[in-house]
Amino acid sequence: MKQLAWRLGHRLLLLVGVSLCTFVLLSAAPGSFFDDLKLNPQVSPATVTKLQAQYGANRPLPERYARWVESIFRGDWGYSLSYHRPVGGLVWQRARNTLLLTTFAVLLAWMLALPWGIAEALYKGGWIDRTGEMILALLLATPDVLFALLLLLLAARTGWFPTGGMSSSEVADLSFGSRIWDLARHLFLPVVALALTTLPILALHVRSAMIGVLDAPFLSAAKGHGIPKFRLLYRHALPVALNSLISLFGFSVGSLLSISLLVEVILSWPGLGPLVVEAVLARDIYVVVAATMFSAVCLIAGNLLADFLLYCTDPRIRSVQS
Amino acid sequence: MQTKLQPIPAANPVILSVRNLSLHYFQKTVFERRIPVTALTNVSLDLQRGKTLALVGSSGCGKSSLARCLVLLERPSFGEIVYAAQNLLELKSKELKEVRRDIHLIFQDSASALNPGMTIEEVLLEPLEIHEPTLAKKDRFLRLVSACEQAALSSKWLTRRPSELSGGQRQRVAIARSLISRPKILILDEALSALDLSTQSQIANLLLDLQREHSLTYLFITHDMRLARMLAHDVVVMKGGRILDSFPSSLLTPDIHANPASIGSISTAKDTETIRLQEIPSVNE
Repeated sequence: MKQLAWRLGHRLLLLVGVSLCTFVLLSAAPGSFFDDLKLNPQVSPATVTKLQAQYGANRPLPERYARWVESIFRGDWGYSLSYHRPVGGLVWQRARNTLLLTTFAVLLAWMLALPWGIAEALYKGGWIDRTGEMILALLLATPDVLFALLLLLLAARTGWFPTGGMSSSEVADLSFGSRIWDLARHLFLPVVALALTTLPILALHVRSAMIGVLDAPFLSAAKGHGIPKFRLLYRHALPVALNSLISLFGFSVGSLLSISLLVEVILSWPGLGPLVVEAVLARDIYVVVAATMFSAVCLIAGNLLADFLLYCTDPRIRSVQS
Repeated sequence: MQTKLQPIPAANPVILSVRNLSLHYFQKTVFERRIPVTALTNVSLDLQRGKTLALVGSSGCGKSSLARCLVLLERPSFGEIVYAAQNLLELKSKELKEVRRDIHLIFQDSASALNPGMTIEEVLLEPLEIHEPTLAKKDRFLRLVSACEQAALSSKWLTRRPSELSGGQRQRVAIARSLISRPKILILDEALSALDLSTQSQIANLLLDLQREHSLTYLFITHDMRLARMLAHDVVVMKGGRILDSFPSSLLTPDIHANPASIGSISTAKDTETIRLQEIPSVNE
């Protein structure tokens, strides 16, 4: 319990640091939301100054930060100047879509990476390993944008999958089952694009973790005692290799959120990605800060999940902590 | 699956026979060049039932490769390993199950030879689950207790993990793991080398007691001539993957030159390991 409290406190401090850094860096960046208004001849400088005062944009940085922190406790997370509404609801609406996308992408990536990496490790140096390595190298060398564009091209040429959005126009008239199917069709391309982006790194990690364990003397010793090959794999090798893979799983959960932004923009998935791009271009800083904070929270949550899974799976960690 | 293994006649003193065993493999370099390596060349030796054969030689001479071949962790290129009237190299992997119950290898580094995630109880019971799956839970427990007693292993260690035990305790666990499936041959690959002198002598005495009680056969791989003299009945000297000489351990007297042929052949090697062998005093000194 003490460990958990300490870890949560540590992560909270980290979030404060992330928010401070984001605030300072965005304030230091040239330009502001009101610069475009100043260029508009139909808006007088007095109106712009009045608007700046109204939204507190001309206040010193510490005061703006304090007001923003205060708004967090109201659930607002600042005010979006572009959308004229509190940021909290706006970001959460989009973040749900991003979470849906990344959850399926993480699952798909791991479902492919685990058997891929294990098979390569088991047949190290053989044709399975060499072919697998070649495909992974190709995937690793391909830019993420290209994956998304190729999948977009596939969808446009074949018409098998929708090319954007997360539902069809007639979704309201569909039954529950048909709605799920419609969502699955819209999810397919972004999920595949995102999973292919992370697959090579995950599969290579799984391969290397498994090779490290398969070469371990305790496995030779167990084999010498007549333990069958399959049991050696699931009872001996996998549990030991799992430690480093669980840490990687936590990291992949968090990092996929930042990778997803690009895929969302190209494949028109209504997640955080398009919102953040618009907010950055419009210098709508509270939206950018909230999206950054959401990303940081996901990364921290992913790592906490990994810590929890390690605690559950590795008895050595439990015995050290008790 | 019924194996072709025949019961070894009690009159036959040889329990396991190695004939012209050779092991060649290719080592890959950074640039994927395959360099042929010869680990063993025409190795022949006999293990006598209930006796200990010490296998000595400098590092890299092929002792551990031979040990790994005997438990079929390595597949030899040529030769025969005859056990229970069968060449083990001709058996299929399923038929080897019974052999794996009879011949066990105990490694030098007990810390890395035990699964770090398993409790000692799980480590000890696993061979029984594989080789005797029909054994009742109660009988399994009795065998566990018996193996622990034989290896002088305290029952309070059963719930611990390998990392929570000392080197000597872990080596006792490795011995108990072998004893639980009632083996006939134990191959001890530098099994005492990593232990301090006091633990070494405790384990050595334990091995002698076990041999007396259960007529176990040992292949004792070592650098330490004192231990070879204390434990072994016969000594085989290896160099460069070949057997140089063999002689009874009684010839390893305080006067190391008692067997000029062997010592002469050892002394032709200029590596430090061999020199160390010669410098080790006998137990009688």
